[in-house]
Amino acid sequence: MILLVSCRKNLPDNRLSLAGDSQFRQYIYQPTLGRNTLFTNNFTYGNSSRPLNFKIVNMRSFTGEAAPELTKLYPVKVWKTAYDGTEKSLEEIEAKRVTENHPLFEIRPHSGEFLMWAEANSNMLKAQPDSGYVFDVEMSNTGGRKYFQNFRLSPLRERPYEPSNLDPITGQSTNVSVSPSGIAIVGEKRKQPLNSNDVRVLFKKIPANTPGYSGHSLTFKFIDTLSQIIDPNKFARTDWANVVHGFNMVKDSEKVKYEVAYPIPCTSYPTKYTTSSGDRATAVFRFDRLGFGGVLQQCSVSLNFKIFEKGDWEIIFWFKTDRPKFDND
Amino acid sequence: MKTIRSTQNIFPMKYFYSIAIVLLLVGFHHLAYGQQPIVVTGVVYDGQSKKKETMPGVTLVSGGKVIAQTDGNGRYKVTVSPNSEITFRFLSYVTQSIKVNNRTTINLTLMGDENQLNEVKITMGYQTKTKALTTGSTVTISGKDIQGQPASDVMSLLQGKVAGLNIQNNTGAPGFRGSITLRGISNIDVSGSGSSSFLTPTSPLFVIDGVPVDDNTNYSYGFQQAGPGVSPISQIPAEDIEDITTLKDAAATALYGSRGAYGVILVTTKRGNSKVPIVRYNGATFMSLVPQLRNVIGGRGERMMRINQILQNDTAYYHAIDLINNSPLLSDSLNAYYNNSTDWQSFFYRNTFNQTHNLNISGGDVAFNYKVGLGVFDETGIQENTGYSRYNLNMNMTYNPTRKFKLTGQLQNSIQKQQTGSGNGLLNSGIASTGSASSLLPSPSLYSSSSGVLAQLKTDNDNKILQTFATINAEYELLQNLKVATFLNYTNSSGTKDNFSPAALNGNQSEYYTYNDRATKLYNRNQFSYVYSLTDKSGEDAHTFNLFAFTEINSSFFKADAILNQRGVNDQLRGPLTNMTNYLTSLGGTIDYSDRRSVAFAGAFSYNYKQKYVLDLNYRLDANSDNGENTGYIANPSIAVKWNMEKERFVEKLKWINYAAIRLSYGSNIQPVGNVFDAYGKYTGGQRYNNANSIIMDLQRLPNLDLQPTKATTYNLGVDFGILENRISVVFDTYYKQNDNIFRYKNISTTNSFGSVASNEISNVNYGWEFQTTVRPLSPNSPFKWTLSGNFAINREVLAKLPDGLREMIYYDTSLGQDIYYRLGTNSLSNYLFNTKGVYSTNSQVPVDPLTGLPYRTGGTGVLNYFRAGDPIFTDLDGNYVLDNNDKVIAGNSQPQVTGGLMSYLQWKNWSLEVNTSFTLIRDIINNPLARQLKNFGNPWNVLKSGALVPLEGLDYWKNSGDVAMYGNPLDFVRSGIIDPFRIDQTVFQEDGSYFKLNSIKLYYILPKTFTSRFGMNRVSLNATAANLGFITRYTGPNPENVTSLGRDDSGGYPSPKQFTLGLNIEF
Repeated sequence: MILLVSCRKNLPDNRLSLAGDSQFRQYIYQPTLGRNTLFTNNFTYGNSSRPLNFKIVNMRSFTGEAAPELTKLYPVKVWKTAYDGTEKSLEEIEAKRVTENHPLFEIRPHSGEFLMWAEANSNMLKAQPDSGYVFDVEMSNTGGRKYFQNFRLSPLRERPYEPSNLDPITGQSTNVSVSPSGIAIVGEKRKQPLNSNDVRVLFKKIPANTPGYSGHSLTFKFIDTLSQIIDPNKFARTDWANVVHGFNMVKDSEKVKYEVAYPIPCTSYPTKYTTSSGDRATAVFRFDRLGFGGVLQQCSVSLNFKIFEKGDWEIIFWFKTDRPKFDND
Repeated sequence: MKTIRSTQNIFPMKYFYSIAIVLLLVGFHHLAYGQQPIVVTGVVYDGQSKKKETMPGVTLVSGGKVIAQTDGNGRYKVTVSPNSEITFRFLSYVTQSIKVNNRTTINLTLMGDENQLNEVKITMGYQTKTKALTTGSTVTISGKDIQGQPASDVMSLLQGKVAGLNIQNNTGAPGFRGSITLRGISNIDVSGSGSSSFLTPTSPLFVIDGVPVDDNTNYSYGFQQAGPGVSPISQIPAEDIEDITTLKDAAATALYGSRGAYGVILVTTKRGNSKVPIVRYNGATFMSLVPQLRNVIGGRGERMMRINQILQNDTAYYHAIDLINNSPLLSDSLNAYYNNSTDWQSFFYRNTFNQTHNLNISGGDVAFNYKVGLGVFDETGIQENTGYSRYNLNMNMTYNPTRKFKLTGQLQNSIQKQQTGSGNGLLNSGIASTGSASSLLPSPSLYSSSSGVLAQLKTDNDNKILQTFATINAEYELLQNLKVATFLNYTNSSGTKDNFSPAALNGNQSEYYTYNDRATKLYNRNQFSYVYSLTDKSGEDAHTFNLFAFTEINSSFFKADAILNQRGVNDQLRGPLTNMTNYLTSLGGTIDYSDRRSVAFAGAFSYNYKQKYVLDLNYRLDANSDNGENTGYIANPSIAVKWNMEKERFVEKLKWINYAAIRLSYGSNIQPVGNVFDAYGKYTGGQRYNNANSIIMDLQRLPNLDLQPTKATTYNLGVDFGILENRISVVFDTYYKQNDNIFRYKNISTTNSFGSVASNEISNVNYGWEFQTTVRPLSPNSPFKWTLSGNFAINREVLAKLPDGLREMIYYDTSLGQDIYYRLGTNSLSNYLFNTKGVYSTNSQVPVDPLTGLPYRTGGTGVLNYFRAGDPIFTDLDGNYVLDNNDKVIAGNSQPQVTGGLMSYLQWKNWSLEVNTSFTLIRDIINNPLARQLKNFGNPWNVLKSGALVPLEGLDYWKNSGDVAMYGNPLDFVRSGIIDPFRIDQTVFQEDGSYFKLNSIKLYYILPKTFTSRFGMNRVSLNATAANLGFITRYTGPNPENVTSLGRDDSGGYPSPKQFTLGLNIEF
């Protein structure tokens, strides 16, 4: 028995392995501020055994000073229950997420994926064109530990909506408007199909001190070449209840307004309010008219979009060169 | 004081005898005279024999003189004085002395000597010793314990009888044998993939009557498809076996050196020892019953089930209608096969009647004896077109004219035939796939596409093996106590395989595969032994020295040729080759070739002091042609000590202790691995260059001149004791066994010109505890004789070293994904699977990524990829909310950790009842058939693809939101292709494979002699045996033993039949 015990001492202990071929594939991380960003597929496990533990260490600015803004905890909104597009009220959506304290930039403890919370903004962090931050990652398991050094974190400035007309580095707009995602409308004057030069989309955030400000609404408006309001009711075939995942719709001759939960879409889970990939919300406005020769023309204008920043937003479809032709030929 | 004499004189027992006899003569000399002598007759019966056989050759001693020997029928007739005493003696039986007291008839039964330690002879390291002087860990099973149950392979009958010998009869295929490992696995190398992946076999070395037979070589296992796969050990019928001894530690196996690393099993066949020739007949007929097969839903039931499943689970009603209408087997009511119900399994399985007959003629005396055995074994497999038959003629004779000279000759011939259907015998994937086809498909005919059935039924598969095993052994005593002996053995084995596959199966051109191989082996051993004793004052041997040395030469040759003719003209013409324009299109040639040599020198030194303290030293040098050039001779030393405590004074006072001994041993053994090409490289003919033939090196493998044999180093500590008049005897062993230089091909860097190299860089360690006991609970005077014996062994295996200093390695299973994880410090063969922790009972249980708000998913980001209620809960090991291959975990051990068995033997008058059981505990099995059954629901509209439907009743699966279930929802076919809820590589299908097996129940009845003698028969006994009766197990599959050596249950495996036997044994 003593023999057996003494022999067992020579056996290797059962510990995990940490292999040399475990590598990060990406060392420079450029998240856009103001939105949840997850960097996936950035780590090769190689022959290391799972689970591995990861930790960000030695977070510092590019010049080497400490960067407490990235190690301090901030309240961030985290999902607790999956959003699936079937929620019946704003409260129901809000009940699915809670506020927790997290560092703004984290590494997933076992997968090595980096993430940046939407609550990070360019007032707190050094955004580009600043060189940003440098940090190291400690990888460990029972087999030992290993350090990966000199990762770069260079956040890009906020772009609160997509498609965006803002420059990611300066945060300044390079254009007034963005293009809609789809147009099938004939112009009134030229009687030709309109294209994305003719129809533009403007995103507008209403200031917080405006009367009636709620912080969680989205309004769609349509204006013509002279910036005169087009009655949204003219888009008669629109499925108004499902333009966005919004509630308490208010539609009058000037606008259609919804109470919505931000960001839009809430998650990238595919729902009836989103593109099929779930990546963006899709808003479609339709009307039918009889075209030349009595052909039914199904006309529409649509926009696939995202809005990250909470607030009262307006999306304005601007028929820049020609009004849409609603009546029959 | 010893009263029994050793048959072999290498031991100084004879002095004891001489002294004993002299003392007897002196003491009782006067008593034998003075009365009128009377004639005493009687019969001596064998108390050890279940059939109550008579005992020929029992020595009768009276007044210190040998007065007679019993004849072939156990009868004797002596003339002695009426008040004398007759002593009946037989080797390894309790000597009985009986006072005549004027009786003229004395019948008696000699009981086997329970004092196992002193009388039983153990052959170990080519020497026979008494058990008291045996320092190694050995277990002997008598041939009587394995009779009465027909088996194509005798080793399968040892299951559960020897502690530490793990036998898994994992195939029911006739003529094949299961896996045998002694003291845990000695190799971790896995080859193949999916269900046919197997662990490189590490069977112990078999030594048949002193001649080693290696079972791990060539195509003995049938996995490699090229040739017939018949194990060489299966040529010996169980009726021919005297005993089987398992040598477990290095002290016992040391002298077997090369090839002894995986343990040694000695098989001794029966000899003749009766002056009057004895004719014995053993015959049995047995019935093999198909075990419980799968229940499947047939005909209309299956069709409606599919339709309902589609209607209830499709994404949209109209899509469901479309799916149904597009599947004619579901919707075409005018089709001739509408609601068809084919019972596919019935085409493959059948109950069979089989028989076995053995006839033995033996006779002779000490000076000359002989035995001739004729045997027939014929078993038709329970799968169609499979079977095994064996015809053998075994002969041996011993010529022992003087004490100094002995010549033994032995000849064993066998013809073995085997049919394996369309599979390779062990696996039959055709049956697995076709046998589980949908019942809606038309029944098999030449005009339907059910080729699996046709392949099994129409393939002509004829395998034949012809084996000759001839041994001559001569011994001569040159001087007093100095003996020389020589062994010469020649084994020739040739195998052929003809496999004809008709045109209907091969695109209208028949296919003919023909294979033949030849294996020869020449073995020679020359040995000498010398005994020297120093006597003490009383004239007793005190210090005994024994020197033993031998040289061993082994030369073996194997060559296999095969040819595949793919363009048969028609089904009638089966060769010679037709239509072949050149060698390349004939696809033929030599597919395997080996020519091996090995030489060894060995010496053993043994010392004992009054048999109380025993010391054994062994040393063996081995060289082998498979080793690399730089390896040279490998030394295998061993040392063992033993203390026989019962010979100490203080123990002798304790009357309740009959014997007690402590053994301690250390030693090493080797096993050659790889082949000459691994060590020296392979050179082949290349293209012509400069108008000359070129010879180039095969770049597939880098030569390794340092290639070493696998080496096993064992430490063993054992305790033996018998108490209460040997009514309880116990053997306990604990061991530590380290296997170094385990062989495995290692892929090397692509910057190298070579593909791989044979490497010896793996080590593992087995340690464990073995316990074996025999109990006789009833008093010796009871009319009932009841013997209970049991054993169990705990074995722990730990991987100790991997190539290149790696700490872990994964063997990827390319076809099923059931990978094997090798990690240092834990068991070698861990399964690497997705960890299933139940089933999501509601959607809200699915974890949500706090950042993205998305539920846990698998694969892409489509809406069907997210887990929801009814899906299995797979552990997300890396916490990225995506299930991928990085989430597999190490789960389970495919090797059993506890094995053993329990036996009961009860005898009452002419009746005896024997019950054999065995168990295997702490072992994980992956239930692949269950996974496939559930998977079959994934394609309800595609009848061809989905296979048979098995009733879901009784399965704990998820039906409605809120259900807490074991298995996910099999009916959700829309998402099953994406989620793959019944992926085969998950822990929900890894089940506890522990089982307790009822191996056999045997009932014997001996007909009254008064009745049988009327027909001129000496002894007639009948027996009825029921074998392979059932299991107690938690495993949900059909048979927890019928799984591969890696613990994968596979529907292509050959099920083990239940067997019912009626046997008749007659002795003339």
